[in-house]
Amino acid sequence: MSINISDIVSDVEQGLIPANVYSDEEVFELEKERVFGKAWMFLAHESEISEPGDYVVRRILDDSFIVVRDAEGQVRVLFNMCLHRGMQVCRAEVGNASFFRCPYHAWTYKNTGQLVGLPHHKDAYGGDKGLRKDEMSLLSPPSVDSYNGMIFASLDEDAPSLEEYLGGYKFFLDFYTKQSEEGLDVEGPQRWRIKANWKIGAENFAGDTYHTPHTHHSVVEIGLFKEPKASKRKLGALYFADIGGGTTYHLPSGSFEEKVAYVGYPENMIESMKSVWSPEQQAMIAEAGFMPSAATILPNLSFVHNWPQINEDGLVVPFISIRQWQPVSSTETEVYSWFAVDKLAPDWYKEASYRAYLMCFGSSGMFEQDDVENWTSITTVAKGQLAKRLKLFSRMGLDKEGELLSEPVEDWPGPGRAFTGFGEYNQRSLLRLWGQYMLGNDPVRAKDFTPTPL
Amino acid sequence: MATTEDGSAVKMIPYTNETHQEVHQFLVWEAELLDSRRYEDWLNLFTKDVVYKMPVRTTKAHTLEESVLNGMDHFDENLYTLRKRIDRFETEHAWTEDPPSRTRHFVTNVRVYPSDENGELLAKSYLLLFRSRGDAHSPDLVSAERTDVLRRVDSGFKIARRDILVDESVLRTQNLAVFL
Repeated sequence: MSINISDIVSDVEQGLIPANVYSDEEVFELEKERVFGKAWMFLAHESEISEPGDYVVRRILDDSFIVVRDAEGQVRVLFNMCLHRGMQVCRAEVGNASFFRCPYHAWTYKNTGQLVGLPHHKDAYGGDKGLRKDEMSLLSPPSVDSYNGMIFASLDEDAPSLEEYLGGYKFFLDFYTKQSEEGLDVEGPQRWRIKANWKIGAENFAGDTYHTPHTHHSVVEIGLFKEPKASKRKLGALYFADIGGGTTYHLPSGSFEEKVAYVGYPENMIESMKSVWSPEQQAMIAEAGFMPSAATILPNLSFVHNWPQINEDGLVVPFISIRQWQPVSSTETEVYSWFAVDKLAPDWYKEASYRAYLMCFGSSGMFEQDDVENWTSITTVAKGQLAKRLKLFSRMGLDKEGELLSEPVEDWPGPGRAFTGFGEYNQRSLLRLWGQYMLGNDPVRAKDFTPTPL
Repeated sequence: MATTEDGSAVKMIPYTNETHQEVHQFLVWEAELLDSRRYEDWLNLFTKDVVYKMPVRTTKAHTLEESVLNGMDHFDENLYTLRKRIDRFETEHAWTEDPPSRTRHFVTNVRVYPSDENGELLAKSYLLLFRSRGDAHSPDLVSAERTDVLRRVDSGFKIARRDILVDESVLRTQNLAVFL
């Protein structure tokens, strides 16, 4: 191993990022084991498999999983490898099945994972003497859990609970995933590959408001979304809590109802939000005046929420996208991008919000098109020798001694801490967490570690 | 092939027929407009009520006909949203296409069918889009079949509806800052 991970993490903790972390194969090999092998990884949303037998096939890097709702309605996560000789059990991406039959030797599994049939049990195995079906089930990851319908799994046998892992971030997750008691309807994903390192998108969504006015200048020019003007963008708050953080837009003054209506939610959805969100959650929008926009939970799960104008009549409608930066290699990422809308939203809203999503994000989204160009280009030039020596300057918000240039938001109604103005606080926090995992530590349960030391 | 409502095959208009040749020429001309980035002229090829849709393709057991994902598309455009996309490329700030991609839209296997609607035709074509950016990466290929509803107008044809059936479930191109 030619990289020194301690040195890299030391630099990263000071907001100086060796540029080759965005391309280095050894870094990626270590990430596979220490980050993706330990963290809680998003797989699917329950609404994607709403009926018994519904399944999607998802992965944690190179591990393929059938995420299926069994006949009793329970969600199962099954390792997609036949117990016999390792054949890929399910070669479709999505569908509905009561049983999965391996095409190699016809071993048959119920959609619970239980082995229920195989040919010539008596002749080939001497019946139960050689093989007991009731003792055999497709493997599952050691830890599976869900929050607001978001199904996560961890490959770590000693993982903390999902609840503990998400920590204070749950407060912010609710904005995207719990706008009513019914929760989300999630559609998709669009999948496409970009020749960029996975961390770049994760960091961008966690806290990069500084890029919005310039990278996304064109969307303001064409009247798609007027908020990203620089003078306004810096008024938003950048928050971070335990395992993730995000950006917000500052809204014009008004009550909770007025602010949420300003971004385009209809009355019944606003009433529903009032009934499911805590006073503190509502205060973040109302009294503090901040509407969540982009966010990232370590390692590679992000969200975005904007409210563009979608027709010539000036209709402004919000949308939610859930996305995952699925690493393919150190220099390539497969983006999974879902559209999410609350189940109780009116039909007109679901259609309009979907249009808003397609215009802004996803494979053809007008914001996302320019983001991808940036990230691909970074990865291209991060591959050489000088990239190892270039320490990228990720110290926005700090002075030369590493002290804060501005104070955190006072009376921040949520967990964690927040700043207004431009700053790379969240990117540094995300990479601090990354760094701990890379050193083989457990930042979630470590008593002496915080992602937000300042 | 195309089928009527009762499932019987609609006969393809012969290649020797002038209608086929007009449509074929129209589609080849459209490809030239796209590859030379004449986006205003390209946009003028669509009717006011156009629907331009590219569903997400997926892999489902036992079926090719239904191998699209319900509820998610790569494109689901009307004239307003296509207009916005073109407007964006006409600002000087659409960084993803500056420098521009070098594209080549290969249009083949054109099949034209009569339509029940007066003044309309159905046109299917294969598309292979070659896309190259810069000098560091291999080019992208995007393969698809387009099914178009064409309406006769004075100047020739306009596209009233385009359904694009892309052949990959995971696109191997960095974004759809190009059209199919």
